[in-house]
Amino acid sequence: MDFIEKIGRLDRRIIFLTVALAVILPLFFPLGLPIEVTPPVQQLYDVIEGLSEGSVVMMSIDYDPSGAPELQPATLSILRHCFRRDLKVLMLGLWAPGVPLGVQALDEVGVGEFNREYGVDFVNFGYKPGGAVTLVNLGRDIHDVCRQDIYGTSVEELPMMDDVKAANDIGLVLSMSMGVPGSDQWIWYYHARYQGNLATAQTAIGAPRYYQYLQTGQLVGLVGGMKGSAEYERLVDHMGLATTGMDSQSVAHLLIIGFVILGNIVYWAEKRRKA
Amino acid sequence: MRLQIPLAIILIMGLFTIVTSFVPAKPIADLNQTFRNWYIGIITFFIFLGTFNLVRVNGERIKTKARDWQYSIILIAALGVMLFAGFFKGRASLDEGSPFMYLYFNVQFPLEATMYSLLAFFVTSASFRAFRARNTQALVLLLAAVLIMLGRVPVGTSIWKGFPDVTEWIMSYPNAAAKRGIRLGIDLGLISMALRMILGIERSYMQ
Repeated sequence: MDFIEKIGRLDRRIIFLTVALAVILPLFFPLGLPIEVTPPVQQLYDVIEGLSEGSVVMMSIDYDPSGAPELQPATLSILRHCFRRDLKVLMLGLWAPGVPLGVQALDEVGVGEFNREYGVDFVNFGYKPGGAVTLVNLGRDIHDVCRQDIYGTSVEELPMMDDVKAANDIGLVLSMSMGVPGSDQWIWYYHARYQGNLATAQTAIGAPRYYQYLQTGQLVGLVGGMKGSAEYERLVDHMGLATTGMDSQSVAHLLIIGFVILGNIVYWAEKRRKA
Repeated sequence: MRLQIPLAIILIMGLFTIVTSFVPAKPIADLNQTFRNWYIGIITFFIFLGTFNLVRVNGERIKTKARDWQYSIILIAALGVMLFAGFFKGRASLDEGSPFMYLYFNVQFPLEATMYSLLAFFVTSASFRAFRARNTQALVLLLAAVLIMLGRVPVGTSIWKGFPDVTEWIMSYPNAAAKRGIRLGIDLGLISMALRMILGIERSYMQ
């Protein structure tokens, strides 16, 4: 068996081991590579910068723990930006398993870092079942859909909600999404009826689908994958887990490209030999 | 009658939903709102139905000692523990340090994140074995993939500053054009399927 044949029959456990090393080693020995901000992320940042003080940002947690490594850093960074700009945050979610992630993010940033007051500066209505139909109702009458927050407090007893009744009271809607129901439903059923600013944060695998909506202006910003989260961390000048993960992702991508090239060398060498 | 009644319900509700899009005035709008509320109620009930079904199916597997029935015990036990942790403290179960939040962030979170991250291993292995430039189309796809992989990580920028711009161009034009075409195709298919269901031509959902 010659070298080409040996490479062609490479045990996949060796591939798995190299991937593990490519991901783990940069976490212990950071490369500190510079992170450039791309236009879709910059656009979202600029929209939030442009909102007047006291505007309401409605953030929908449409992901679960499997998408959290990519999306939670974006959620934290955007919350930091909102509270720094003295914006108010209304949180809810179309995915039940995402509720604790939203609670943790608001506790960490809203209470922990910015000392904001629950009910006055931010509220959390938790999981809202019904997907598209709920979104249609939400834009028409927020109080009807969000009658109680996650702690059982009536919406009428939350001071922040006094002036937040329908879609036109919201400055920006953010769908942090990794599937269905998620950004598609926000675009098709909420934005199509009520317009306004809508942006999304997506896992890397989902982001390419949303460039078409960015072009048409249906989305005012797009944070794609861990890279997008790292870009937002850079914009708010608070380096977190996404920035740390970028070195690992860089090395992993180089490794995949290396394997693709190697696989093609083997393929062409074998083809040439057979011919 | 077992056939006609469901078909009549689909026809009436389908036509009504279409009409509400064009006539947002009372009393149609009010009736539509009532139907929307019913829908949310029914969807919420599915959570209980799903949980009940999960327990029933896995309970059956344990009872009959079907293949890998031991996993069903773990599943039902995990479901029970999470339900108990979520309910016994009521609203306070979402407080920091509660048993529910502890289990969520120390068991569910790492398990789900690990399962999702396994993709990296399989993608690398599959790229090595299957991502071959067999013809011109495959070569174009391969080059686009390599450019995007380089443009989406900081190391790409360190190699050449133009990679992110190339990536953005690929995403904004060829990618968006293809996605838009696919989306239009899907939507036309959905419209035709909805019409077939409303008109009673498509009946496979009743079987």
